[in-house]
Amino acid sequence: MKEKMPLNSTSPIPMPSAAIAAEAKRAGPSTTEDHALPPEPQVALPKEGPAPAPEPEPGRTPKMRAQNVSVFYADKQALKDVSIDIHEDRVTAFIGPSGCGKSTFLRTLNRMNDTIPSARVTGHIELDDEDINSSDMDVVQLRARVGMVFQKPNPFPKSIFENVAYGPRIHGLGNTKADLEQIVEKSLKRAGLWEEVKDRLGESGISLSGGQQQRLCIARAIAVDPEVILMDEPCSALDPIATAKIEELIHELRGRYAIAIVTHNMQQAARVSQRTAFFHLGEMIESGKTSEIFTNPTQKRTQDYITGRYG
Amino acid sequence: MSSVAQPQRTGASQDARLRKRYAAERRFHFAGLFAVGLSALFLAFLLSNMMWKGLGGFTHYEAAVPIDFARSDLMLDPATLKGPDASEVIAGADVEGALAKSASAAFGPAAEEMFGAAANRSLSRQLIRDPGLLGRRVTLWLPVGSKVDVAAKQGSDAASAGLVGQLKAKNALRRTVNMDFLTESDATDASAVGIWGALKGTFLTIMVTMLLAFPIGVLSAVYLEEFARRNRWTDAIEVSINNLAAVPSIIFGLLGLAVFLNFMHLPRSAPLVGGLTLALMTMPVIVIAGRNAITSVPPSIRDAALGVGASKMQVVFHHVLPLALPGILTGTIIGMARALGETAPLLMIGMRAFIAAPPSGLTNPATVLPVQIFLWSDEVDRGFVEKTSAAIIVLLLFMLLMNGLAIYLRNRFEQRW
Repeated sequence: MKEKMPLNSTSPIPMPSAAIAAEAKRAGPSTTEDHALPPEPQVALPKEGPAPAPEPEPGRTPKMRAQNVSVFYADKQALKDVSIDIHEDRVTAFIGPSGCGKSTFLRTLNRMNDTIPSARVTGHIELDDEDINSSDMDVVQLRARVGMVFQKPNPFPKSIFENVAYGPRIHGLGNTKADLEQIVEKSLKRAGLWEEVKDRLGESGISLSGGQQQRLCIARAIAVDPEVILMDEPCSALDPIATAKIEELIHELRGRYAIAIVTHNMQQAARVSQRTAFFHLGEMIESGKTSEIFTNPTQKRTQDYITGRYG
Repeated sequence: MSSVAQPQRTGASQDARLRKRYAAERRFHFAGLFAVGLSALFLAFLLSNMMWKGLGGFTHYEAAVPIDFARSDLMLDPATLKGPDASEVIAGADVEGALAKSASAAFGPAAEEMFGAAANRSLSRQLIRDPGLLGRRVTLWLPVGSKVDVAAKQGSDAASAGLVGQLKAKNALRRTVNMDFLTESDATDASAVGIWGALKGTFLTIMVTMLLAFPIGVLSAVYLEEFARRNRWTDAIEVSINNLAAVPSIIFGLLGLAVFLNFMHLPRSAPLVGGLTLALMTMPVIVIAGRNAITSVPPSIRDAALGVGASKMQVVFHHVLPLALPGILTGTIIGMARALGETAPLLMIGMRAFIAAPPSGLTNPATVLPVQIFLWSDEVDRGFVEKTSAAIIVLLLFMLLMNGLAIYLRNRFEQRW
């Protein structure tokens, strides 16, 4: 029960889930695609409005498509027949209680589970209509196209510059020092870290604060110019202010990259995502527009989780 | 709330508990201090004892002896001493006899044997350097033989002591630094021995060991830890490596004897074979240390590198290995230090032979410092006692130097992050 929500919190995340659900129910479908970080709760909440958000049309091809994905660790099935689409220009949030398989699913999207010897993935995952598990797909190229940000900030124990330049260098994106410097500057600017570190690019990435380290990791991920960014609970090790900065960053990155984020913080999912999938005990219970999942879930389990009955 | 029996936070029982805890902490503190103190004491005793006995080995006594070359029986032509065969010519001449005669003429019959091989060598060298000495009467300072040297340093048997007294009275005895000890090799005469041959042999042997054991050990560790599939074979290899690290070193000597000498017919007593044998012995230590160092690299670093699209090999060589290197180097230092001090396996492959010239290559006969120490400690001549201790000092310094270098390298790699 580590996700118990504070009911009268004064923290910068002052949105009890029950309140969101209740208020959102009143308000109806969302139009708030483009909200910035909420200075007050209302901004994040769905508002009255006739036109629904420009949700992807059914006919439109998603960036990534997972069909009937199951994951087994040795004999234990961790994920059961999950099917979900990840769209361009959208942030897709995976929520659910601990151990529900949301991180496992995220890691199948760039085949990070390959590194676990006992893990076995079945089902079909496509990136731009290409099967990522086929023999034609080079896993290294895949991971360059589908970048990842991890739960704990994990910068390399190298300089800030090297941290960002490493990816482009191994992929041959910047052949000259000037190219690399440009890529590093651009990536750090996109990650909102440039102003803070521009005078000390030679310092160790480890010397930064936790939130800065995580933004450095995001800069590192976008330096190789990926198409999709996977974020595995990127804020769980950060304080509220650093969390707010990361969330702001996610808003800014949306549109440039397809983003999938795992979080067990429901307010976060509500704030940053346009689409949400709820996982429970290895199954995907339901997925859809964030506004609908939070206001009008079709499944009882989703409803119970969102209102804080368990979690 | 307060109905349940709560632990007493105040009062007598609390004080007693506190006292007990403090006492236990104090006891532990003193026990630790005692242990550290005791080991420091032993180390200090060992080092001071070695220094006390060994520093004398770096000095020797020289006596001034008047030699009249014109009237000696030395049948030497100054012209031949200028040629390239000078050392052979002089070896054929009876330098020793001429020296004995001059000594007994100057200091009486008891002094006939006061000079040994060291004096011969010194005199021969001076003659080669200055053939003009022949035909003149000169007084030369020459190192005394082992018996007189020991008598002068410690005062032993009566005959030599009398001679020492006589020399001192005539102001014909002085103590100087024994440079020959650092530049010469083994000899039968304690006054003439040197450490250079063994030092060079050690250097060559360790070089072979290092060049073989370090890369092979590190690559094995990397492969087993990062690339090999976990199955029965890798399990078997792991068990074998752990067992190999615990095998007594003499067994490796027997293995070296059987494989390198009897089967491959490599030359006996050679640094090459010694290095190969020691490499066999050191490699398991490096593999184990390397695997531990590689496992202790946090998995988040691997994830990070994989996440930006690094290949398996890039992950290992760009991230894991640099981070593991300090640990690997520590293991290598331990393995190398053990190899450096190893005697038993080298005895088996013939490095205990008497070798009077420093090895000029990897296949020349050689000995190493620990074996040299072992051989000298077995000698009857009392002159060897301080030579043994002096050799131990040289070995310890060599080891210190090597470890210092390794620690310097390790720190450099650690700072490079």
